[in-house]
Order: sequence, then C-alpha cells, then structure tokens
Amino acid sequence: MLSITIFQLFFALIAFVFWLNALLKFFRRERSQTFFKFFANSVVWLGIMLFSIFPSQVHLFSEKLGFGESLNTFIFIGFVIVFMIIFKIINMIERTERNISEIVRKEALSEIKNQ
Amino acid sequence: MSTNTSKIYIVIPAFNEDSVICDVIKEIRASKYNNIIIIDDGSFDQTYENAKKENGVIALKHFLNRGKGAAAKTGIEAAKMLDADVVITIDGDGQHNPDDIARMLKLIDDGFDVVLGSRLKNPKGMPIWKIAANHFGNFCTWAIYGLWVTDSQSGFRAYSKKAISLIDTKTDRYEYDSEVIREIYRNKLKFTETPIEVRYTQYSMSKVHKMNLQNGFKTLIKMMISS
Repeated sequence: MLSITIFQLFFALIAFVFWLNALLKFFRRERSQTFFKFFANSVVWLGIMLFSIFPSQVHLFSEKLGFGESLNTFIFIGFVIVFMIIFKIINMIERTERNISEIVRKEALSEIKNQ
Repeated sequence: MSTNTSKIYIVIPAFNEDSVICDVIKEIRASKYNNIIIIDDGSFDQTYENAKKENGVIALKHFLNRGKGAAAKTGIEAAKMLDADVVITIDGDGQHNPDDIARMLKLIDDGFDVVLGSRLKNPKGMPIWKIAANHFGNFCTWAIYGLWVTDSQSGFRAYSKKAISLIDTKTDRYEYDSEVIREIYRNKLKFTETPIEVRYTQYSMSKVHKMNLQNGFKTLIKMMISS
C-alpha cells in the first residue's frame, strides 16, 4: 500500500500543474513554447512529480543511472536546478532583446508617422 | 494582374550594402514597382544615405543593428501602416531577380496568402555546399516547426494582406525566415513555392555577415530555444 504524506502530495501537485501548463502551451502552439522547452519542462516537472510520489525509487534510479550513492543524485538534481536557472536567464535575455528591437522599430517607424 | 500596383510594397532589409543598394532599387523600378521600403539595419556605411537619395524610396533606419528578421519585420510594419495589399521581401545585396516578382504576384492573385521563393526549385549556379546546407535547414525547420518547404531560408517572399495581418514573428536574426514558416502553419495560411533565380556574385558571397556554417548552427540553436 502506497502511503503519501501531505508534503509529497503538495510537491507532486505543484509539479503536475507546471507540467500541465507547459503541455497546454505546447499544444496551443503558443510562441513561448518550443519543442525544446516543452521537452525540458517535461523532464524536470515529471521527474519532480515521480520522485515526490515514489521517493524510495530515487535510490534505485541513481543505481540504475550508475550514480550509486544518493549524494550523487542530489548533485545531479543540483545540475537540473542550475539548468533551470540558465533557462530562466536565457528567457530574460530574449525578452530584453525583443524589447530593444521594439524600441529600435518604433523609432524607425516614427519617420513614416511624421510624414 | 489584378492587384493594384500602387498597393504593392517591396521591402528590402539592408546592412552595409551602400555599394549595391542604388542598383537594387533601380532594377526593381525597371520592373515597374515603385513602392520601395529600405530598412537600413544599423549599417556603418552609407546605405541609408544612398537609399534616401533615390526619389520616392521610403528609407528607414534602425539606430542599432538588430538582424535581418527585425529589419524585415520593420519593413512589413511600415507597409501595413501604408495600407499595403501585397508585400514582397527581397534581399538588399542584389542576389534576387525582380523579374520573379510578377510570377509571385500572379500566385497571390490566384488566392495564395504566402508565396515562398525557392532557390532549390531552380538550383542552377547554386554552390553544392549551399544546397546541402539548405536541405539541412529545411529538415530542421520541419522538425521544429512542423511544415515542410523546399527553401526555408529564402528571403524572397510575397505576402497577401491577410498574411501580413496574421504573421507575428518575434525573432530578429536569420531564424526569422524559419519562424515565418511556423506562422504559416500556425495560422493555416495558404502557401505555395515558386522557383526563383539567384545570382551568386563575388560581392554577395564575400559578405561576412551572410549565412555560413557558424551562423547556421547559431540559427539552429536559437530556433530550438527561442520563443
């Protein structure tokens, strides 16, 4: 019988909501969701969801992956978090680049408006 | 041709093309298209000044270099403001032949929303490595954006009024050309491809900012991660 604590359920639900959001964005073909982003989101959020519900499988998973010790699994998770942070930074840079282009465009088009 | 020629706009994104831009404008005019919008994408040379000297040309300038895609989008926005019925985008280095425009317009008149000029439908004179790179680009565009075309990186395209009102691109550089393909797919626009002549001159091949292997990989990565 699988026993789940309220914290496990909470984390699993949070992860599921984030993954569902990514899935909907992908199927709606929203511009902010490319295949790569959806894939990365699925790996991260589904991973968190599964490990929240089946924490004992983490050790088994790390053994299967060849990590052996659970400490290495934490290091692996650390890498995932760093990856997510990089992902966020890329998004921020993209937004900034887009804003710069919009400002440059507005300025260029003002010549037509002024005519 | 039923489209009112006074509402056909030719959009030319240009970056450091001062030595050829006047010839490109004259060649387009010789083909009887007079609504020409030049977008100087932050050139260091006299591209903007030379374009402005040509009578009747609408010359706009990006005060910063933002990329071919950003410049094309500015041109299309300008054409929308001028109530264009059809917009043709054409490269600023003179590699495209304006004589092909008439065939594109005919297809727009036939009811297509977008006409893509395809170099691979007429690869005469095209270097082998460019043909191979194009096939790879087409495959990546299909894998990422879901629509197969024979030349996903061509800048010579025609858009109907419906297409320019629906297509909404976000990317700025060479990935723009592929993003348009995604927009065609996303908005279910009716499109076709037509063979175009491309003149590979020493000038056009020597430009350092043109698509090369390094830029190709950068474009691919951006296509994968950018929104």
